[in-house]
Amino acid sequence: MLKRLLLTLITGFTLAVTAISLAASSPTDEVRTSVDAVLAILDNEQLNYDDKRTQIRVIVKERFDFRAMSQRTLATNWKKTTDEEKDKFVELFSQLIENSYVGKIESYTNERVDYPGEKVSGRKAVVETLIITSSADIPVDYRVYQKGQQWLVYDVIIEGVSLISNYRSSYQEIMKKEGFDGLLAKMRAKIDELASTPS
Amino acid sequence: MKRILLALLIFILPLTVLGIESRRDFIETYEEQPESAEEAAPPILEEMETGGTDDDDLSFLDEDDEVIEVYDPFETLNRRIFWFNDKAYFYVMKPVAKGWRWLAPEPLRIGIRNFFSNLRAPIRFVNAALQGKFRDAGNELTRFGVNSTLGIGGLYDPAKVHFGIERKIEDTGQTLAHYGVGPGPYLVLPFLGPSNARDGIGLLGDFYFSLVPVLFENRYYWLAVSGDVINFLSIDKDTYEGIKKDSLDPYLFLRDAYSQYRLNLILH
Repeated sequence: MLKRLLLTLITGFTLAVTAISLAASSPTDEVRTSVDAVLAILDNEQLNYDDKRTQIRVIVKERFDFRAMSQRTLATNWKKTTDEEKDKFVELFSQLIENSYVGKIESYTNERVDYPGEKVSGRKAVVETLIITSSADIPVDYRVYQKGQQWLVYDVIIEGVSLISNYRSSYQEIMKKEGFDGLLAKMRAKIDELASTPS
Repeated sequence: MKRILLALLIFILPLTVLGIESRRDFIETYEEQPESAEEAAPPILEEMETGGTDDDDLSFLDEDDEVIEVYDPFETLNRRIFWFNDKAYFYVMKPVAKGWRWLAPEPLRIGIRNFFSNLRAPIRFVNAALQGKFRDAGNELTRFGVNSTLGIGGLYDPAKVHFGIERKIEDTGQTLAHYGVGPGPYLVLPFLGPSNARDGIGLLGDFYFSLVPVLFENRYYWLAVSGDVINFLSIDKDTYEGIKKDSLDPYLFLRDAYSQYRLNLILH
């Protein structure tokens, strides 16, 4: 009887604590969890290149909000596109972002990542990280926003350069010249090119 | 040598003046941004309470966004130089850098990079001071003193490693921006890559304050500068290759990245 009560209490307590810690987990904690997981995969010598990529992809997909990123990249053009076009864009764009991000992270294997600080304002936050390599320290900031219980990445800023702003201006330029379909075609061609030449 | 610099100056100066106007507008719109983000905080909270995580309702993420429109009237010419630089990079500079990477151990190459960086410390010192950033100027002076002595002529960076004094990039282009000079037209410089009229002129100031031309004269100067670049590329983790691989149009990507990178330096 006592045992059962104790067990219930412990279970209840554990659940409560978990719930609280889940709700209260800071943006940095969440980003760190994902970054650490990615680094662990990169350091795992038992995995081959393709396995690593696949596993990293899963983690990146959980942490990055590709739809928000797409929306911000297309900016005012987002509203002008149909739902179908949106879905298509999000799909292609997530592949490109994933590839670009993973490629960058990959070149920094065996390096340390520091978390110098975070700035939270309302539902938005910036998680500062510093990749410490033997030759240089590279500041990488993650812009995150709260969606439900989670903090999701909507932009990555490397040495002061926002990935999304960067994509946005070049994509807008391409759209101006070749239209939305032209942009999609270019994105598709790029993805095919990346798939056919694994680095 | 001097004649080339003079010619460059004459070419670039009018462009910068042209650019000041556009830059002004830009700075004003930019400086308003942080405030508006603050003001917008309460509505965001409200939104959350009402569960407003609608797909299309992410506009609050855009508030701190700086939309940079790069002024690029010479795009055709720039793209040609970009093409030339691309070839120079892949067919000359990178192969040499790779050879050097294979030949010399990384600590040596990092030492050489530090050595050149230390020779450019006066650029950072002077420009920090000119912008009234006296703490940064003081730090640079300390770094120069410590690294030139304890760091064996700048080969090592004990100022950072042991005293935690970080290098902060300051140059004449940033000083000009500090006093309201706009970027002017975007320029791709042969071999040097992305720049703009203001930063191009800034290079002349940097040349003036750098100790590299003091230590290496005439043809040794170009040798030293090339060596510095090659050595730098041997340490770099294929940044340009990555950009080329990832982006739909590397020219546009670099143009925007450069502008963002410079703006970030100017604002800090």
